[in-house]
Formats: sequence, structure tokens, C-alpha cells
Amino acid sequence: MIRVKNIDKSFSGKMVLENVSVTFEPGKTNLIIGRSGSGKTVLLKSIVGLHNIDSGEIWFEDVLFNKLNFTEKKEIRKQMGMLFQGSALFDSMTTEQNVRFPLDMFTNQSMEEKIERVNFCLKRVAIINANKLFPAELSGGMKKRVAIARAIALNPKYLFCDEPNSGLDPITAILIDELIKEITDEYSMTTIVNTHDMNSVMEIGEKVVFINEGKICWEGSNNEILKSDNEILNDFVFANALAKQLRSSQL
Amino acid sequence: MRFLEQLGLYIILLKKVFSKPEKAAIYYKQTMHELVFLGFNSVGIISVISFFMGSAITLQTAYNTENPIYPLYLIGLGCRDSIILEFSSTISALILAGKVGSNIASEIGTMRITEQIDALEIMGVNSASYIILPKIIATLIFNPILTLISIIIGIIGGGMAGTMAGVITLQDFIYGIQYAFIPYYITYSIIKTLFFAFIITTVSAFQGYYVNGGSLEVGRASTKAVVHSSILILIFNVILTQLLLS
Repeated sequence: MIRVKNIDKSFSGKMVLENVSVTFEPGKTNLIIGRSGSGKTVLLKSIVGLHNIDSGEIWFEDVLFNKLNFTEKKEIRKQMGMLFQGSALFDSMTTEQNVRFPLDMFTNQSMEEKIERVNFCLKRVAIINANKLFPAELSGGMKKRVAIARAIALNPKYLFCDEPNSGLDPITAILIDELIKEITDEYSMTTIVNTHDMNSVMEIGEKVVFINEGKICWEGSNNEILKSDNEILNDFVFANALAKQLRSSQL
Repeated sequence: MRFLEQLGLYIILLKKVFSKPEKAAIYYKQTMHELVFLGFNSVGIISVISFFMGSAITLQTAYNTENPIYPLYLIGLGCRDSIILEFSSTISALILAGKVGSNIASEIGTMRITEQIDALEIMGVNSASYIILPKIIATLIFNPILTLISIIIGIIGGGMAGTMAGVITLQDFIYGIQYAFIPYYITYSIIKTLFFAFIITTVSAFQGYYVNGGSLEVGRASTKAVVHSSILILIFNVILTQLLLS
């Protein structure tokens, strides 16, 4: 479980997150949604420690993460996997080397064991015959899948995904969503997904947190979101013409 | 104020770079890669530049000392000392600041804007140490070798240009380069090279590591890396010359 308590974060005096408190439950796909610039990515990066928060607390189970030093954070970070918006695969490494990297860094496994684990992870994300390809030779969807394979290489307890569907076609986007959901269920991970894609919300949003102008505006599940009477949320959820039509027919 | 802020960030980065490596074997592998990438791949450009630099120095010395009082072998001596004392260490360092420095800054800057550095941090890897330390070690090992190569090729170039232009005989040139040779000059040149290698790598890495923005900023960081490294090389050249030769 990850608990965020009253966190504030500002950049050059501009408040980006204000008194944010939220709990992300284990074994569930937790979604943070909101408009571009609402503070979703800052919240996610603050949780994983890439941004230092101004005030507040971030708890991983019963460990106060934001008060740990770099070495202490390392132990928690070994239990984290993260999928970045642009995949963040290492350009100079092949697919296999990218997925093997955390194993090389943090395990004493033999090369055979590592290769076996790499192949298992790549097979799990349906990447076949691409071990020797470099990131530049992969499509956008493949890059995301390789990044997921790298994120799960060390069997993490926590999975963070920043806009996993950005730049993907709708069918590939759904495949990536399903993959994240399956992996979350399979390994009972606490997964937090940052998105503004409503398809993702409806597909995998077991818990949805709506953030607006740096504040938590609404919390609930994907089933509840369509019935909400929160106006700001409804403006976001039913932003496109098709959704508006569906909403009016529903009403 | 801005200078002090930058200096503080530079010192913090160096502290991160020189902290205990996560896994020595991985760092060793990275260092070997950087030795080839930053060191071995610079042999060509250093050789070409040194050859023509040595040639020009010899011809200039010859045409500026056209006096029967001066023995001809002084052309060889002048060529040797100019190359060892200044050109092979300082000019090569300025060339490497352009080639290696911009390369380091743009590589690390691109890693920053494409979130590869964030990915390393999330995994619990000390990104500064993992990315920068192997580059520092590689340049500290290989740049002195490049300087020695530069000295040898510079003198060969000088000898060839001098004899081909007919300003000096080969015997006089060889006598000149052996005459009153002070081995400490080589040590001085190597010490300067080590300082310059450290400046090029750390200043360029610093510019790349703290890039904020997009490709435009990476380009700017790359330019800054070259300019700042070059200025620091020239300043330290004066300081080290005073300290080591006075």
C-alpha cells in the first residue's frame, strides 16, 4: 500500500500540488487522471522520489519514504518498476540488455539464469525474436512492452506507469492496458497509472483519482465515474462529442 | 550568484560521481566501452592534427630563424619543445574538448530529456556515478596516451615537412630533437593532460546532466560544454605552467 499524506510541491514559487492526500491500494490498478498540466506527472514523480516534495509524507507500507536518504531509498526502489511516457529504454543497449540491466545491477545470478528471466519477461509481454534489436529498431508499442518487461524483471512490488498509452494507436493502447492489469493481478502489485485516456479508465481503473489544478477533486472506481455529479470531472470525462452524446442519452 | 550556484551543483555532482559504485564489474565493463568510444576513437583526429601541427611548427621555426649564427639543429629542438610543452597537451585538449566534450554533454543531455537518467534512479542506481565515472576513468587513462601519440606524430610530421621543404637535413633534425632533452617536460605534459582530461569530462558531463527541456537545450548544453571546458583548460594551462615549471 502507498499512502500520500498532505503533500505540497511547488516549482519556482508556483504551487503544482496542494495538500494532496490519497491511498493507493495493493493488488489494484490505481489510476491518476486529469488534464494536461494538472499535476499528475509531478504527483507520480514525487511518489517515486524523482521530485523532492515541499511538505507532507509518502509512505510505502510502514516506511516513510520521503525522509530516507539515497542509500535507504535504494532498498525500496529495488521493489519499484516504472514505465515512462517515452519508454526510457537505454539507447545503447539491445532489448535483451535493457531487460537484463536490473538483474546485472542487483542480482548475483549466473548469465544463464539472467537470460532465462529476460526471455520469460519478454515472452510475458509478447515480445518474440527481438532480443538483439536496439530501441531505435522497435515500434512505439514494442518499446512500451520492453519497458514493462524491464520494469517487472526484478518482480517488483510497486509498478508506476506514466502515460503508458501516449502515442499509441487505440488497439495497441488497449493491449498495453490489459497487459498492465494482468501483470498487476498476477503479481499482486500496487500499480499506479497516470493517464488522461478515458479508454484506460474504463478498461482498468479499479481505483480512479481525479486531480485538477494540483488538488484531488474526486476518487472512486471506473463504475462510479459515469454516475458522478462532480461537474469538473464530468467536463473531463465527457469532453468529446461521442461521450457527450452517450451522457445525454444516459440522462 | 549564478556562478556560485553552478559551482555548488558541480561539487554536488562530483560527490555523487565519486561515491561507492553499485557493482564493480558493471563499471569495469562501462569503462572499457568508454576507453574505446572516447579514447581509441580519438586517435585518428589527434594523429592528423599533430602531424600538420608539427609540420607547421618546423617550417615556421625555420623561416623565423634564417640566420647563419643559429645552428640548423635548433629547428628540431624548437619543434620538439613546442610540441611537448604546449601543443600536444594544450592544443590536443582543446580539440578533445570539442570532440569528446560535446559528445559527452549531448549523450548525457539526451539521456536526461528522454528520462533514461530517471529510469536509472528509479531502479536505485546512482545515475551520476554509473554514467560519468567510467568516462572520467577512461579519459584519465587514455588522454595521456593520446598526448604521447601526439608528441611522436608531431615530431615525425615536423621532420618530414622540414626535410621535404629543404629547410633542414634529417640528421640535423634528429640531432636537434635529441639535444638538451629534459625528460621532465614529458612529465609536465602528462600532468597537464590529466588535469585537462578531468576538466573536459566533468564540465561536459555537468552540462549534460542538468539539462532541462528539449533538444534545443541539449544543443546549448553541448556548446556550453565546449566553451566552458576550453576556457578552463586555458586558465589551468597558465596556473599549471607556473606551478610546474617555475
